[in-house]
Amino acid sequence: MAGNKQKITDRVRHPLNRAERSSRIVRYVILCIFAVTMILPLLWMVTMSLKKNDTIFVYPPDILPREFNWSNYPIAMAQMHFNKSFAVTLFITVMSVIGQLLSCTLVGYAISRIKFPGRKIWFYLIVGSMMLPGMVGTIPTFMLFSKLKLINTFWPLIIPAFLGAPFYTFLLRQSFMGIPRFFDEAARIDGAGHLTILYKILLPMVKPTLMVIVIMAMQGSWNDYLGPLLYLHKQNLWPLSIAIKQFSSQYAVSWNLFMAGDLLYILPILIVFLLLQKYFMSGLGSLNSAALK
Amino acid sequence: MTNSQLLKSGSRQRRLKEGIIGYLFMLPTVIGFTVFIIYPLISSAYYALTEYSGFGKAEFVGLDNFKWMFTKDPTFIKTIQATLLYVVYTVPAVLIFGLLLAVLLNKTMPGIKLFRTIYYLPVVVPAIASLVLWKFIFNPDHGLFNGILASLKLPTSRWLESESAVLPALTIIAIWGCGGQMIVFLSGLQSVPAELYEAAAIDGANSLNKFFHITIPMMTPVLFLQLITGLIGGFQVINPALIVTSGGPNLKTNFLNYQIYMSAFDKREYGYAMALVWVLFVIIMAFTVVVFKVSNSYVYYEAEE
Repeated sequence: MAGNKQKITDRVRHPLNRAERSSRIVRYVILCIFAVTMILPLLWMVTMSLKKNDTIFVYPPDILPREFNWSNYPIAMAQMHFNKSFAVTLFITVMSVIGQLLSCTLVGYAISRIKFPGRKIWFYLIVGSMMLPGMVGTIPTFMLFSKLKLINTFWPLIIPAFLGAPFYTFLLRQSFMGIPRFFDEAARIDGAGHLTILYKILLPMVKPTLMVIVIMAMQGSWNDYLGPLLYLHKQNLWPLSIAIKQFSSQYAVSWNLFMAGDLLYILPILIVFLLLQKYFMSGLGSLNSAALK
Repeated sequence: MTNSQLLKSGSRQRRLKEGIIGYLFMLPTVIGFTVFIIYPLISSAYYALTEYSGFGKAEFVGLDNFKWMFTKDPTFIKTIQATLLYVVYTVPAVLIFGLLLAVLLNKTMPGIKLFRTIYYLPVVVPAIASLVLWKFIFNPDHGLFNGILASLKLPTSRWLESESAVLPALTIIAIWGCGGQMIVFLSGLQSVPAELYEAAAIDGANSLNKFFHITIPMMTPVLFLQLITGLIGGFQVINPALIVTSGGPNLKTNFLNYQIYMSAFDKREYGYAMALVWVLFVIIMAFTVVVFKVSNSYVYYEAEE
């Protein structure tokens, strides 16, 4: 009885007619088909990472894990010198994020709030430089850093972050422009200088944009492969991206160990993503608002 | 001095002070732009006209690099072909799937957020991690892909080792990562006014009518932006070649950016590499300009009078 009653009130709450309900079911089915396809590769990776050596190549391939050899993980970690590479990746990532935050906030503030000659031109230069192919800069920059004897140091991967990436500067400029001027003017009357206005008044108001920048800069460094490939040649300097590539092409590596290592490389960024999803996606969403302007 | 003169010189001083402070704040960009944009542009323009191994002096050779590229280099045509084909395969495919998923997700239904998270997941996975994973998935003998195909009694392939299947395989990888495009489309779809659909429904339009006569026209600015960023990114593709295929088989994935990388850092032909960079640059610019011109008559901007 009670169950019946529940059903009736549900139907009242969602007055879906028949056509709507069947279109919903069709939508769910299609959504599920895509979801399964998208997740299949990752699921297979988890399954493989937990296999014993002699069951890797069973046919047909297992999608869901049937055995749980967690010991693959410490073995993979030891073989690819995971801890050392993790520390390197973490160091480069943290330094880059700090660099981008420092430099982009200053420049974004200057372009949106300080009246200096040529600020319009600088804004267009920043936007224009986003269109330039990366390779144009890569080779001359490499030659410059090798002349400065900075190969096999972290400097070539960190210095550029302190010089402000155009896209993040652009994002911050757009956010600052959206804040009414009377906030700064009120502070200026109280005797605040530019730095105080920037750090005490404006930055707290653009926290979402700052989060987007933190996440994109973090992803950028965590995922960077070409940079370390060019500048870090010694094994003890390898970040995870290089370590995982080397590990995958090692002669004797078995698939289960590789999958375990690859998962460990993905895991930190995956956890951050699941915690801060909203910000991951809103950075891209801002591309859309750029299209409408 | 009169009062107004005093005021004037005061404001001039203030303007000077603002100018100096402004450039102090701009310092990161001023340095960054000079070192990472201006210097590379000038030096790559110069080195493109030289032969340079990275050691000793660069030897000026005029347009020889370009002459060799267009008349003698046996790999150049194949490199351009591979790059163009990659763009033709992946850019539309990713846009279509991204838009399709966005349309599917653009409805308030229970659990829709979970689907959005799942579709976006591949974008979060670092490119290196996913590319090496796909290398195993496409392994012809023990990989997941052939395993599934075989158990469905469908024809299998050598995928990354096959001249005809390698680009379709890379396209599948690209489509897997269409979540980024999906999110941009989704936020575009959510800004389409609901009244338009309601009005159309009153006029008796079905879902397909609505999609082609409301959704698509309203989405043209977003589509256009995505097409441009897709083209710019697509022409610069390097990771699949660098990590998975090494340009093979038979140069089918010898993308321009990968060729540039190999010329510079493997063969130490910096001069030739820089000449190739300029070719890449010109191709991207040309395509961007053409798309801009063509799209002018198709893109719908709301603010337009």
